[in-house]
Amino acid sequence: MAETSIRSRKGPVTYLLRIFVITYLAVLVIWPLWEVGQQTFFPPDRGAGGGFGAFVERLSDPSVSYAFNLTATVAFWSVVINTVFGVGISLLIVRYRFPGRRILSVLVDLPMSVSPVVVGLALVLAYSTGQGWFGSALASVGFYIIGTTPGLIMATAFVSLPLVIREVVPVLEEIGTDAELAASSLGATGWQTFRRITLPSIKWAVVYGVVLSMARSLGEFGAVKIVSPGAEFRGETATLLIQNRYTNYQEPTAYAAAFVLVLASVLALVVVSLIRKEDHV
Amino acid sequence: MNILIAGVNKSYGDFVALDNINVSLPTGQLTALLGPSGGGKSTLLRIIAGLESADSGSVEIEGIDATKLPPQKRNVGFVFQHYAVFKHMTVAKNVAFGLEIRKRPKAEVKTKVAELLELVHLSQFAHRLPSQLSGGQRQRLALARALAVEPNVLLLDEPFGALDAKVRKELRDWLRRLHDEVHVTTVFVTHDQEEALEVADEIVVINEGRIEQVGTPDQLYDEPANDFVMGFLGEVTRLGPFRLRPHDIELSTTPGAPGVLSGVIERSLRVGFEVRLAVDVEGQGEPALVVLSRTHARALDLEVGTRVWLRPTAGATSVPVLEVASA
Amino acid sequence: MTQTLVASPPPARPAGRGPGRAGRPGRRGRGSAANGGLFRLTPTSGLGLGVALVWFSVLVMLPLAAVIGAAAEGGWASFWGTLTDAQTFAALRLTVVEAFLVTVVNAFVGTVVAWVLVRDHFWGKRVLDVVIDIPFALPTIVAGLVLLSLWGPDSPVGVNIVNTREGIFLALLFVTLPFVVRTVQPVLIELDADVEEAAASLGASRFTTFRRVILPSLVPAIAAGSSLGFARAISEFGSLVLISGNTPYQTEVASLKILKFLEGDNQAGAAAVAVLLLLVAVVTIVALDLISRRVARRG
Repeated sequence: MAETSIRSRKGPVTYLLRIFVITYLAVLVIWPLWEVGQQTFFPPDRGAGGGFGAFVERLSDPSVSYAFNLTATVAFWSVVINTVFGVGISLLIVRYRFPGRRILSVLVDLPMSVSPVVVGLALVLAYSTGQGWFGSALASVGFYIIGTTPGLIMATAFVSLPLVIREVVPVLEEIGTDAELAASSLGATGWQTFRRITLPSIKWAVVYGVVLSMARSLGEFGAVKIVSPGAEFRGETATLLIQNRYTNYQEPTAYAAAFVLVLASVLALVVVSLIRKEDHV
Repeated sequence: MNILIAGVNKSYGDFVALDNINVSLPTGQLTALLGPSGGGKSTLLRIIAGLESADSGSVEIEGIDATKLPPQKRNVGFVFQHYAVFKHMTVAKNVAFGLEIRKRPKAEVKTKVAELLELVHLSQFAHRLPSQLSGGQRQRLALARALAVEPNVLLLDEPFGALDAKVRKELRDWLRRLHDEVHVTTVFVTHDQEEALEVADEIVVINEGRIEQVGTPDQLYDEPANDFVMGFLGEVTRLGPFRLRPHDIELSTTPGAPGVLSGVIERSLRVGFEVRLAVDVEGQGEPALVVLSRTHARALDLEVGTRVWLRPTAGATSVPVLEVASA
Repeated sequence: MTQTLVASPPPARPAGRGPGRAGRPGRRGRGSAANGGLFRLTPTSGLGLGVALVWFSVLVMLPLAAVIGAAAEGGWASFWGTLTDAQTFAALRLTVVEAFLVTVVNAFVGTVVAWVLVRDHFWGKRVLDVVIDIPFALPTIVAGLVLLSLWGPDSPVGVNIVNTREGIFLALLFVTLPFVVRTVQPVLIELDADVEEAAASLGASRFTTFRRVILPSLVPAIAAGSSLGFARAISEFGSLVLISGNTPYQTEVASLKILKFLEGDNQAGAAAVAVLLLLVAVVTIVALDLISRRVARRG
């Protein structure tokens, strides 16, 4: 956008606002982030070792690798489920006509607005063996959700459910149905049309949604906290590990794990901005 | 052997898009569905293609009852107003799509694509993406893609509607020539009467979900079935108890035979080679519009305020004014 | 990079999912079938819909119903009793007050940040633009830890916010930073220059132009961003776990209260507070829908 003369004129207020914003963001975000790096690589006192070697050593502790493995597993499955479900439900909501369609399109947005603690509580109240509505029934067929990895996956899938949908729905609406109809008039079946026409057009939106879901899934804490036993080697995900270690005076390990997650988040941000650019070409 | 549409109805909620349509569209011809926007012509075309289903009635294509057939099985080519090209595929891939779906051998697909791109003059763009083409080129691509599967019927929905006037005119001539070459039964939707008159072998005029008239361009122009068709196909004015075309009014500066109406020139406007006069005719609410050649007008020495006498030329097309319409 | 990680339906989004799309009659021409772009369900898509609905019910609807069921189990009196219990009520009040204060600060600061990011030009602006998203992208527990690294027990500046209301305030400010910024930013970018020029040519000072011409068009975005931030602040959990200290009457907030109820095996109590939080979530969604409708109507 071309700057107009009125807009580009700079007065004292401009500089005042600029300094205010820079200071605000520096104090609120940048400085604390810098300190995390400091705490990770140069832990103060308590005889903890510093440097990159110590950082790697803390991460290679079996309980830490267990936590990261579990987090990766849970994130992977919840992303897979949310992607399949998300693309499917987006197609249904945008392309098809059925009773309750409007309500459904509002409801699928709900999980993001619900407090993660409430999500955890909800799953417990529905599926825990002791108190849940369906817990005993599931237990009688030998299926346990609360306290197991499937429970962690469900909690994580719940909180990140709308991310793929939010990205795919607007794109589906924008591309319209002409190309799809053209494909079917050329003889393509529903599946062929989806794979060869629709999917390539929504590709970037799906990738974008997947990255967002992945970031969210790796970092989920509240819902997982409630459905997981949360003990070492027993349902302790990376985020739970950070809490447990921090409260048990093992700050260096907590910071090391946190640093990894900070990197993952920043990486996600970078990937997302690259995709946005790709998308706009 | 043709497209036979019988008793087709379609409504969206309270809105009646098509009201008991019965028409037969001849094989090998270029037929235009002509009418104002929202009149139902696009809906009819989409029902023929199977992109939409009729509430009742039947569609028969080349002797086969297609009413219940999905679009994939109808073997029709459909060209959309906004091209609907596959943006992520090259021009050649777009054209090849229908053939690949039909699992034709690679060599055959290649020859066929080359042949079609030649036909639509896009050979040098074969490996470009549609985003690198102009609007007219995209529409030719869409046409080639539709023709690739050798459809029984080619359907075009406002094919030139999104193009600017000059390209539209070029493509129109080109479509006519193409049709003379390929001879596939073609139906196209348009709201532009000039386009329909110029390109089509036969025109179906559709308005408010009903067919107003079916006929050749000449029939429609010379023998319009009613007020609406007459008005839609060209400019219309009123002279006494009749509606007729402005160039079908004979003007003289001297009183003539009985039945001639007199009036005074109210406005005079020169547009290029013609002169358009608004004549205030006695006992008539609206002025009569008369179009003359510039030479003729100059010879008669016409100006605002001149008294003139008007009458229909011999053999002029006219329809009686309906009382409601003349209000 | 605007409107990236903030998972919010921005109010300026074309009302695709919004009102007036379904069942609009006789929409013809571009892009969609005449019946609003919607096909009838085929056996395959019908089956897909069935599977999707079952999964959605199992994952989301039934558990949420279970929360409401558990809260309603003891009847209205017990529900009301739980919420008005002195300690619970103190936690709820603290949550609402803190969330409100944070929202007010965000409405103001967020607009200023968005303004500077759109209108000012200086070296490093792009970095700041990315920084805005970081608080949202970080896992919540990590966000808490990030703040503690500067303002915690090992603080290099000697300020310890653990177990203080100021700490809660700071944590909420941190996690809700992007909401107003990211909703106001796109609107500010889209704003026409000629409106401001017109105001200036009519003799308005720059401040008057901002107050009378620019601000009114930002209000819906500020309101939308604020309500998202408020909802987030009310339900925030992860970033507060390490900071709040959880002292009854002092630093206990609603989400931590739920956890405490649950750990004390008081499902009904947990569910009662949870229903309240759910209500806030639903009200926010509805409010946002209304705002976006009003914006859409204004065109």
